[in-house]
Amino acid sequence: MFKNSTGYYFILPSVIILGFTSVYPALYSFILSFYNWNWGTQQDFVGLSNYFFLLGDKEFWIVIKNTFFFALCACSIEVTLGILIAIYIDRIKVGAGIIRSLLLIPLMISGIVVSLMSKMMLNKLFGVIPYLMKQIGFSSNFYGTKDTAMWTLIGVDTWWQTAFVFIIILAGLQSIPKEPIEAARIDGVSEWGIIKHIRLPMIRSLIFLVIIFRSIDTLKIFDLVWGATGGGPGLSTEVVQTFAYRTAYGFLQMSKAMTIIVIFSVVVGILTVFYNRMDRKLR
Amino acid sequence: MSLFYKKYRHLISAYIVAGIAVLATILPIIWVGMLSLKSKGQTFTRPPKWLFEPNFKNYVSIWDNELFTNTFINSIIITVIAIILSISIALLAAFALKRYNIRFKGAFMQWLLIAYMLPEFLFIIPMYGIYQTLGFYDAHFGLALMYQVHVLPFSIWMLRSFLDEIPKDIDDAATMDGCNAFGTLYKIYLPLILPGITATAILNAIWIWNELTIALGLTFSNSQPITLGIASFRGYISIDWGGMTSGSIIAIIPMIIFALMAQKHIVKGLTLGSVKG
Repeated sequence: MFKNSTGYYFILPSVIILGFTSVYPALYSFILSFYNWNWGTQQDFVGLSNYFFLLGDKEFWIVIKNTFFFALCACSIEVTLGILIAIYIDRIKVGAGIIRSLLLIPLMISGIVVSLMSKMMLNKLFGVIPYLMKQIGFSSNFYGTKDTAMWTLIGVDTWWQTAFVFIIILAGLQSIPKEPIEAARIDGVSEWGIIKHIRLPMIRSLIFLVIIFRSIDTLKIFDLVWGATGGGPGLSTEVVQTFAYRTAYGFLQMSKAMTIIVIFSVVVGILTVFYNRMDRKLR
Repeated sequence: MSLFYKKYRHLISAYIVAGIAVLATILPIIWVGMLSLKSKGQTFTRPPKWLFEPNFKNYVSIWDNELFTNTFINSIIITVIAIILSISIALLAAFALKRYNIRFKGAFMQWLLIAYMLPEFLFIIPMYGIYQTLGFYDAHFGLALMYQVHVLPFSIWMLRSFLDEIPKDIDDAATMDGCNAFGTLYKIYLPLILPGITATAILNAIWIWNELTIALGLTFSNSQPITLGIASFRGYISIDWGGMTSGSIIAIIPMIIFALMAQKHIVKGLTLGSVKG
């Protein structure tokens, strides 16, 4: 290790750029959450009243509930499904490369494109899926009703992001040593027993990584919701980031929007730090 | 038959699962691709037309649509600026993290992770005002700069993990030959991690190309990227199905090519450099 100061010069540009793009706006948000700034008006210091207002705001709690509901459901479905698919595809030797490449495609597609694709395919009048469901006797209105819109989003997110779990878990399964598995097989342990007691525990740090990354990502969901439902119908699919966007850019209530996002950032920040700690322990 | 079944049971079930997963993944994309090749009259027929004569009218008209082609060009410009910025700066940082004993290294890495993970609107809402004062609002450079909050930490992790694969002895030998720090980086390390730099740049490009949230907050018309161009087909009064389908396909295809080029490194990318692909 070199101990002179040259290293600091090399790292300085990153510190400046990250300081400008992250610390500066984050502090700005934090400070202005104590003011009552609406775009274009004077800023007055109002202390914690934005926070008290939000905590007593029914709309805010609906949004929080929606966000966590979406994150919990989408994350658990994607992680379960992704691990299962990885376990099955891990057995395949012939054609594994092409299967892997095809399954990866959704990850390369922008959230807005995914949302528009789903809107076209699920459109009540023109979409292909409602048509096919009608043929077998079901009527459906995916994004159209308050009860179904959220589940439709969860389903679309599953289509979009399950490959994230699958590809990481598959790489993990293929990297663990073969000896303990062979030994267990000779001892007569069943295939699922080997998976449950040997292989999955061996990649537990990866499973943990996948769960944290997916939960942070689903909590932050924006483009998919903005493109597909815009938070509607009613408030049924409004999540924190679309709510903050609407408050700031729609109603120009900048301070209120910043307060929303500051509260939310604390949650995401805690999850991130928690991940960092656990990750170091598991290694 | 039953013996055959017993022997290959696990393999058969694996192929069934793989088949279902592959179909569920690609059928929607194929369907949208088919829609993009249908004429206006064929799009809404009931039952849907499964077989039809493809025509490229939607692609011709989207290419004549200046609003869309502008966003396409904007995306290319923004992607190039953001990648040059992030790779050059991240390379220096990754090099410093490998070679020098830097205080607060742990804090710096933690900062990278938190900046990368925090919700976009924490940064964008204040930047909406700050950018207008600085003249960065609705400018290619401004957007490329704001993308660094995500792209720069990612590039540092990736390049660092590529640098870590290079043995330290090479560095010592270069130093003994009288190379200074810059010389060691550009003459010794750079050629060795060039494949890693390419992979990092490609993965950055995929993220930037697909980004919508930050662009929505910090652009208005001049520098809107392709994601906002596609979103604009979803009008308030009517939906332009031809534009939406062909625009989606145009946005998807380069990303699939990029993904194939960087396929070896995708797992490393998705886990922020902590797993070798």
